[in-house]
Amino acid sequence: MSLTSPLFFAFLAGVVLAYHLNASVSYRRAVLGLGNAIFIGSYLTDYTQVLPLIAFLLLGYGCVSVLSVWKSSVGLGLGILGVLAYYVFLKRFSFFDDFGHLPFPYLTIGLSYILFRVLHVMVDVHSGDLDERIDPLGFFRYTCNFLCFVSGPIQRYQDFRTADGTAVVELDADKVFQAFARVVAGYAKFVMIAAVAEYAFSFLKPQLFQAGDPSFAKLCILYAVAASLYTVYLYYNFSGYMDIVIGSGTLLGQTLPENFDNPFSASSFLEFWQRWHMTLSQWFKFYLFNPLVMLLMSCFPAPALTAYLGVFAFFVTFLVMGVWHGTTAVFVVYGLLMGAGASINKLWQVACTERLGKKRYKTMSETSGYIYFARGVTIGYFVLALTCLWTPELLDFARLIGRLGPAGVLAAFVGIALAFGSFWWLVDRVAPRLTAPAIFATARDSLVGRNLTLASQIMAIVAVTTLLHKSPDFVYKAF
Amino acid sequence: MRHILRQTALTSASFAFLYLLIGCLSFLVFPDPSQGGIRDFQVAERTLFMTVPKYVFLGRSVLDTPDSKVILLGASNTAVGFIQKEIQPRLACAKVSNLAMGGANISEVAQIIDLVRETQSSPNHAPNTFVIGVWYGMFADSDIRFSDPDRHRGDSDLDIEKYRYGFYRRTANGPVAILPPKWLDVGVMAIRPLLLVEKAAREARTGVNLLLTGRRSAQRTEAEREVATMSEQDKRKALEYWQGNMGKNGISETESNLLESTIASLLDSGERVVLVDLPIPAWHRDASPYQAGYAEKFQELSRRFGSRSNFVSMSMSDLDGDLDYSDEVHAKRHLADVWSARLAALLSSFACREKPDKPRISSRGPEQATAASFDH
Repeated sequence: MSLTSPLFFAFLAGVVLAYHLNASVSYRRAVLGLGNAIFIGSYLTDYTQVLPLIAFLLLGYGCVSVLSVWKSSVGLGLGILGVLAYYVFLKRFSFFDDFGHLPFPYLTIGLSYILFRVLHVMVDVHSGDLDERIDPLGFFRYTCNFLCFVSGPIQRYQDFRTADGTAVVELDADKVFQAFARVVAGYAKFVMIAAVAEYAFSFLKPQLFQAGDPSFAKLCILYAVAASLYTVYLYYNFSGYMDIVIGSGTLLGQTLPENFDNPFSASSFLEFWQRWHMTLSQWFKFYLFNPLVMLLMSCFPAPALTAYLGVFAFFVTFLVMGVWHGTTAVFVVYGLLMGAGASINKLWQVACTERLGKKRYKTMSETSGYIYFARGVTIGYFVLALTCLWTPELLDFARLIGRLGPAGVLAAFVGIALAFGSFWWLVDRVAPRLTAPAIFATARDSLVGRNLTLASQIMAIVAVTTLLHKSPDFVYKAF
Repeated sequence: MRHILRQTALTSASFAFLYLLIGCLSFLVFPDPSQGGIRDFQVAERTLFMTVPKYVFLGRSVLDTPDSKVILLGASNTAVGFIQKEIQPRLACAKVSNLAMGGANISEVAQIIDLVRETQSSPNHAPNTFVIGVWYGMFADSDIRFSDPDRHRGDSDLDIEKYRYGFYRRTANGPVAILPPKWLDVGVMAIRPLLLVEKAAREARTGVNLLLTGRRSAQRTEAEREVATMSEQDKRKALEYWQGNMGKNGISETESNLLESTIASLLDSGERVVLVDLPIPAWHRDASPYQAGYAEKFQELSRRFGSRSNFVSMSMSDLDGDLDYSDEVHAKRHLADVWSARLAALLSSFACREKPDKPRISSRGPEQATAASFDH
């Protein structure tokens, strides 16, 4: 069920209406459970396609149940290993082709996010952070919540539980309007900005691989523009999707976690990842980075090494996070680039603190020149690293990089960094002066004004959708 | 629940109000053309429909009249080579419309014919004269011709228009109509606000082009085309382009058969067909590996239907002067005038007759001498 299809609107309207018909918790849980089943069912053409997913859920639930009575580290290790092995098998990672695969087509959408939820529950049950017994239907509602099924956000079970059949958000006229506005804003990002960026990107990309002998400058500019457009597309596609999901969640009384917080205003790579795909970063922080740092510190307890152990832990965490994005070899490159970005950033912080002292480093990093420079470098690096996501075959990636050469990649990086840095410099100077006169603000915020604003956004969405004629797909579905 | 229903009602009412408001505005800016609409579909840019495919799909009901009609079909070389305002004054008996579409293959031409005919009431079919301008570039399979990244593979420009506003739905066997043809004008009325917003977006883009480049679009003007010449490198690139656009197996058999069956069907229903072999510059004709197969097919069709009184074919192969073309396919304006005059002369003796009498094949137009002088 595509998010942009009329069928999804009908489905969502049906679930919201059914949910609010009765305030009984068990009734509402039944509605949500049924909604999840229908949503998953919409991806199937044959019942056999869902069997591997059911087996995955059963395996996860089995592990959670065992760990709730047998809180053993060995048990946790074996459980994680089993769940991961089955996940890797189902995802058909190209590195494990020799292990074979199931001889029939099956559903893999949402599998990664179910994995994150299952591992989180297993670890928290083992550590005692989650001490209640989860019933099978509750486990299904949590792992397969239709709002978060395809691509998150990754909600903690403890937060989900409080809203499972109980409206934690008390709806009033204003909250409902805000929810509608958020959904519409999400669609505007998704089908207007992201789709236009994708449209432009899809015309530029083939030119990068076309035979011929374009000039060095032309190739660099083409690459920088295409890579930037892909980043714009990725961000607006994903954050638009999140707005739709979070706004819809409000109508079902749920408060889903945010996944983005102005990532392009980040002035370091590590800050960027605190603002981009936040629930994924937090998941990796809790379940990989923190345990890894603890483990390393227990092995190498010298205080002088602590900062460098952090650098290594960042590298490993971001490497794994990068590799998670895909099933081909180029995603290892992506992971290495992510790992390098994070660890170099951490090393820079460590070196600056050691050389300048905490106070002077803080003062330096708060100067406007440093901020715009750092923003440009951060975004430039991220934009170029994302090349792996739009050249999912290693051969294509190598061909492109080979064609550009180190000088071409560097020129593109400098160009993008300069463009983004200058853009932010301009925004910070112009934006504060762009305030609407009070009379317009009052009219806009009135009941009629704000509903007409919403209606004009919907009109623009419909117009752009018909103009571009090919419905955009949700890009993160593939990761 | 109460708040959700209230907000749903408010949003719906606001949207409906805005939609109606823009709809009303569209009638002020672009009054409904009804049956008196512009007949030359090549001037689509001046209308609410903006592009030829959109105009053909949404504005074709202007062709549902009992008058004699000459309907020009083909690809972009028909669009620029047969000038409606040159042909119409020489043809008092019929109203001329040029529905040719850039990049069209035979399948798309057949689609246009179907769309025109399904909108017309049966008595209005008979006075149709379809002029089908062909050259080898139109005999490419749709999967090869229509494979840009922004479309579903094989979707022609007309298919895109069919799906765009929900008038058709996508199926494994191609587009299936949701809106019956007789409701076309009602459907167009309903989407007028969208068309106006789209028009505004296109005008804004034109404005940006004008600001940045000093031109309305990247397309060359008639004056620029008139003085254009092709270098050897241009010619090589053009040949490569058409090889990429045609596939490896010569002209498509599917497209050839479709042209044959389309003509047969039109002739059987009493409509008239003029099949025109559109010339290309000599260098292109001689270098292309597809030309021989195409020429053979054209001769075969001319022979097959030559005995039918409502069929005529015309070849303008003598108009092949390299310098008369702005690129590998498109006639410059001075040559387009000759093409148009030749077609008008043929049509005045064919389309204007009450009953076509003798079948014939015209290999040279009446202005052969004039045309030959362009062959530098």
